Amino acid sequence: MDRRDFFKIVSTASAGVATSACGKKSDALIPLLVPDHEIVPGEEQWHPSVCSECGGGCGVIARVMEGQRTIERSGEKFRERIACVKKIEGNPLDPVSGGRLCARGHAALQSLYNPDRVREPMRRTAPRGKAGFTPEPWDSAVAAVAEKLARARSSDPAKILFLTRPQASTRTLTIQRFLESLGAPPALSCSVAGLAVERKAADLVFGWRGLPRYDLGQARYALGVGADFLGGWASPVYYARQFGQFRQGRPGIRGKLIQAESRMSLTAGSADEWLPLRPGSEPHLLIAIARLLLDEKLARNAQQLPAGVAESILAANLADLIRISGIEERRLRRVARELGESESPIVIAGASIVHTNSLQSLVAAHYLNLLLGNVGRSGGVLAPQQAAAIDPVNANVLEALKRAQILLLDSENPVYSLPSASGVMEVLGGLEMIVSFGVFVDDSVAYADTILPDHHTLEFGTAVVPPVAPGIAINVATPLVQPLYNTRPIGQTLGDIARKMNVPFEPIGARDLIEPQLAPGETWDDVARQGGLWRDGEATEPASKPLGEKLEWSDPVFAGAPEQFPLQFQPYPSLQFGDGRGANLPWMQELPDPASSSMWGLPVEIDPQTAARLNVNTGDWVRVESAQGSLEALAYVHPAALPGVASMGIGEGHAHYGRFASGRGANPLSILAPVWENSTNTLAFGATRVRITRLGRRPGELIQFSPRDREQGPWGYR
Amino acid sequence: MNQSNQTQHRWGMAIDSDRCTGCQACVAACHAENNLPLSDAESAARGRAVHWIRVDRYYEGEFPDIRVKYMPVLCQHCDEAPCEPVCPVYATYKNPEGLNVQVYNRCVGTRYCANNCPYSVRFFNWFDPVWPSPLDLQHNPDVSIRMAGVMEKCTFCIQRINRAEREAKEEKRPLADGEVQPACVQSCPAEAMVFGDLNDPESKVSRLAESGRSTRLLEELGTQPKVFYLQRAT
Repeated sequence: MDRRDFFKIVSTASAGVATSACGKKSDALIPLLVPDHEIVPGEEQWHPSVCSECGGGCGVIARVMEGQRTIERSGEKFRERIACVKKIEGNPLDPVSGGRLCARGHAALQSLYNPDRVREPMRRTAPRGKAGFTPEPWDSAVAAVAEKLARARSSDPAKILFLTRPQASTRTLTIQRFLESLGAPPALSCSVAGLAVERKAADLVFGWRGLPRYDLGQARYALGVGADFLGGWASPVYYARQFGQFRQGRPGIRGKLIQAESRMSLTAGSADEWLPLRPGSEPHLLIAIARLLLDEKLARNAQQLPAGVAESILAANLADLIRISGIEERRLRRVARELGESESPIVIAGASIVHTNSLQSLVAAHYLNLLLGNVGRSGGVLAPQQAAAIDPVNANVLEALKRAQILLLDSENPVYSLPSASGVMEVLGGLEMIVSFGVFVDDSVAYADTILPDHHTLEFGTAVVPPVAPGIAINVATPLVQPLYNTRPIGQTLGDIARKMNVPFEPIGARDLIEPQLAPGETWDDVARQGGLWRDGEATEPASKPLGEKLEWSDPVFAGAPEQFPLQFQPYPSLQFGDGRGANLPWMQELPDPASSSMWGLPVEIDPQTAARLNVNTGDWVRVESAQGSLEALAYVHPAALPGVASMGIGEGHAHYGRFASGRGANPLSILAPVWENSTNTLAFGATRVRITRLGRRPGELIQFSPRDREQGPWGYR
Repeated sequence: MNQSNQTQHRWGMAIDSDRCTGCQACVAACHAENNLPLSDAESAARGRAVHWIRVDRYYEGEFPDIRVKYMPVLCQHCDEAPCEPVCPVYATYKNPEGLNVQVYNRCVGTRYCANNCPYSVRFFNWFDPVWPSPLDLQHNPDVSIRMAGVMEKCTFCIQRINRAEREAKEEKRPLADGEVQPACVQSCPAEAMVFGDLNDPESKVSRLAESGRSTRLLEELGTQPKVFYLQRAT
């Protein structure tokens, strides 16, 4: 559906024409929940909603049509006609998705209709970690939780910890309010896609709260450093749309992208040139480029740079920086010159793989953009708009877990996301109570005492604040279909718990968030019908001059002795599974991996030199060993892997996560050393060294969709 | 099939490699739209996973001067389709709008067509597809489920074409350029894919097909594909 069509639908619906589905598509939008008896066979209705597969918060529209399910009542089977969601597309009115959607967004349908959803409240019957549960009525389950929470609150409310997914929404606000009413500390996140370092750097340099927005679509020359912004970083659909515009969206102008990254990510693959950067040397590369710009008088905005920062850059030893980055000096000088001479240059830095020194790289990138004079300008780095809700942060999670007595889990998976050597499993095993509100049983929920399952996002109303959006954006979801199971929205469950505890608490709904923002003449119904509230933002320069007195950089720290563990190991958030939460969706399992083309599993990527030395071929089993643990995985000899660096996508290796993910492959995060980023204490998951040994051929093979035989040998994969 | 004089369309697609990021949104969108059979690890290992559209990736050069080329490959809806003359039961043929269509209930499963397709975009159903309940609630009612013994492949989302043509006819107006979008084209975040009428010289796809960057896949075989690939600008 395009923007024009959807406008047509919205306007007819707003005029009150749409009462039942009859005939034309433009009459078929019904604003709120579709009662099952109003569904007409063969007629489609489109409803706005919000995607919650990653933190990007894209506005979507869902196609609702009739379906049939079989239910059992008193031993007899009945067929019941219900309204079903058939497809999800981007909401053409939403400035983030613009009507487009990524692969994970499409697969959100398979989490709604996943056969392994938790269907009713449950109580633990097996030892912690074994995922044995039995159904429990809502009342007694809520009462048991309320009683323990009340006791913990009266002794020390600081011992209550809430972990929730990294997306700013009415959900996070509701949780925040609940925690405030208990006197407990704010909720945290433990996802590897939490972007804690990016937020911290924007705050340190510009005093911005939230993620900067990179106006790639209007830039002419872009240097990406460490941010796989087409593959999943921050807001993949928004940046892919920007990229299309950057490359071929302006008559006569074609943007050029240079990507410096320590692996051939999707962004590096799409770039005009890839600079294979040594892991953790992002600050070195950025400061070298800043130095070259200053030396060659190409820093058009040098006067705005804080004096101390300029001094630090000029004091840097250029030869050392270039040597550490691993990039040829000639190439680096050329890139710096092209960047400095471009009419509209931009540097997009991120920490898709977090190192101990990632903050320094992001801070350096902000100063570099300042030198290039693009901060607050079209085609440059833009300030985030005032957000109505802020994401939970990923900081000091392990310490918080160790302090906690009671853990409340909302679709966050610390057992998967934190290394085994951090002791996270022992910590969870020793907690007084763990309650899960998630819709699936995952590695961490397996430790829970009680599960109070939430509705799926497509089954209840919410409002999400996308972290990257032009202007102010709040995407709104209204319930589309009746809940399939005996579940309750998290706000209601928290309300029930609070009531039992005699604590005053009201959940925050989408309407509460939207109504204060309405312009005169605008109504909540208008916003709910079109799927969000969007206002044009003005490009603003940083309010005060950039902060900071000096620029620091340090070499990244890697755990493990190089003699014993010669390879640097970098797990990375995968295109299919993100931080790991997409692994229970069969469409994502069978989506060929962009690097190795593997399906139903992710291999460890090794460079050809190392592979030859180890006598490893693609498809061999290998053992990847760190000082903290080991895993077994299939090898993929990657022609574009850096010598001495082994990479592995995050997503597989769940002990518990439904039939499609459980027991499949290995979790690269599990063998990491507990090393933390210096400023935020978020996990530095690129900071471990490993050794790899060949195990040879074994049962279980690397399943590739476009295997080598398509490209090199006799074809015919079928 | 509508063979009236009003139907003068000749559907084609252009894919701009300069925009394509290889993100595979098209692949997932196709699964959602067309009720593609679900694989599992075992069937996928036997080469039976089905993707009507795939993103091929080719590594070019040697480290460190290495690049990747992403190329979405789907049925090319060839004007001289090698799959058509080998079908003994006319299950695959060219429809009046230039689509290479597969008639599922004519197909007897000889697999000659897949054998003859140079693009490897035809897939055989070795078994009846299975969706653990309630995953089947997601099925698109506009697209039939293919059972064992039947060949399947990309249809250019013929159900979307038919729907748009029907609506235009009801409203007594011609189809506008861009009004029909297969699921892959609709979802593409970088807008790398464009679909339209090659008979209309003003349509976006016709203009892109005429671009200096335009090539066709394995054109030298004489298949005359209707999918045009715009090469990267550098």
